[in-house]
Amino acid sequence: MIHYLNHSLMGFLHIRRRFSQVIEQIYFIAVESSLIIFACVSFAAIVTVLESSFHMKLVIQGDSMVPGFSALLILRELGAIVTALLLTSRVGAGMASEVASQKVSEQIEALRLLGINPYEYIVAPRILASILGTILLVAIANVISLYTSMIVSSQALSIHPELFWQMMNRFVSFQDFAFSLVKAGVFGLIIPLTSCYYGFTSEQGASGVGRATTQSVVTASILIIISDFMLSAFFSNFY
Amino acid sequence: MKIETKVGILSLTGVLAVVLFAYWVGVLQPFSESYNLKVMYNYAGGIEVGSPVRVMGIKVGKVTAIDFTPNYKSESSEQVQLQVTIGLSKSAWATIKKDSRFYINLAGVIGEKFLEISPGTLESGELTSGQHIRGEDPPRIDQLISQSYGLAGKMIELIEKNEGTVVNTIAQLDKLLTNFNKTMQLLDKTRQNKDVERLVNNAVVISDNLAYLTTQMRGKKAEETYELLHKLLWRLEPLDKDAIKKFFQEEGVRARIL
Repeated sequence: MIHYLNHSLMGFLHIRRRFSQVIEQIYFIAVESSLIIFACVSFAAIVTVLESSFHMKLVIQGDSMVPGFSALLILRELGAIVTALLLTSRVGAGMASEVASQKVSEQIEALRLLGINPYEYIVAPRILASILGTILLVAIANVISLYTSMIVSSQALSIHPELFWQMMNRFVSFQDFAFSLVKAGVFGLIIPLTSCYYGFTSEQGASGVGRATTQSVVTASILIIISDFMLSAFFSNFY
Repeated sequence: MKIETKVGILSLTGVLAVVLFAYWVGVLQPFSESYNLKVMYNYAGGIEVGSPVRVMGIKVGKVTAIDFTPNYKSESSEQVQLQVTIGLSKSAWATIKKDSRFYINLAGVIGEKFLEISPGTLESGELTSGQHIRGEDPPRIDQLISQSYGLAGKMIELIEKNEGTVVNTIAQLDKLLTNFNKTMQLLDKTRQNKDVERLVNNAVVISDNLAYLTTQMRGKKAEETYELLHKLLWRLEPLDKDAIKKFFQEEGVRARIL
């Protein structure tokens, strides 16, 4: 595993050579997932607004604080984690099965024979593309979900859009947005690292590929949630 | 469309999203002309960078920076150590004059701190952007509490030191009250005595009569009577022994003649 990490990160030294692959991977990771992710994050934002309104009516007898609360929740948690988990299931599974089948059909061995470092060729571009793609997706997803929650709160809770921005401004700062992008970067690192690891260590046969895919998704999801907790705890020190 | 183009579009959108958010939260303000004022305080009561600034209760800007200025001295050579820089929108600028006052206030259910500016009068001049102004320090609750603690302590000390005197005073007061009570009881008893009652009743009758008499004496007739009496007395004064003798002699002569 240390050998794997070491070689994957060393692969970054020659990343320039793999520029076209990086672009290809960004296309696969970010562009192709974008619509699904934006739709899902918007729905998550809608649920956040409606749920927090329900809770606040119960607890503090009024939902005037919903904009600030939901905007903060979306920025600090939902935007990044929903995007990352969706990417894990879509991109992580795809990568793991791709790499595993390459391993099973001995293409990776073939690369080695051709004198190409497989970590540099397969893992490094995916890591870079995933980090960049996740950051881009989270940035757009945050803005879209904030906009969606503004529309929902003006339609369902009759909070005027102007008031929404005002209330949001009271709680939210640019710092929150920046932290969510940092989180996105970390999640973007975790997804290809786990997927490719399980792809490289896959066992022979179709069942081996299937197992590698399943394990990579499960492990990546768990790692994402744990790292999200650690990052949240760490970022709380900056407030 | 080529893959590169799509990736490029997504990247541009991502950057735009960041810029848009920065504009929403006010980190980037390309379109608003804003004015600066440096409000000086010695105590700012928990105001933060980003706290709203209001004029007549309407949000017109926010606190952009808080700096410590240990070497700053105001025009009246007062040392003021805290500089709160506020950004104000163009629309509100005209209402803030030289005699505006800068308070730090508390509002809302979450206890949000904000800087309130009272509108100035038309006669006083306009401020220039970036000017230093002395703000009104908010009352310090902690100081108030510590002062009242001190006061309470002193009161306790006073009582403890003069314990003997205080106890004595209270005992004396107690005695005084007891005596007063006794006196009142005695009074009550005498009121029930029949002789005393008669005495009081007679006094009432006498005073009634006196009142009647005095009202009579104050009438117009009484005044005339006084005047007549007065004249009579004046005229009677020269009536001494000689005059009477003379009168009798003359009258005696006339009587004898008649």
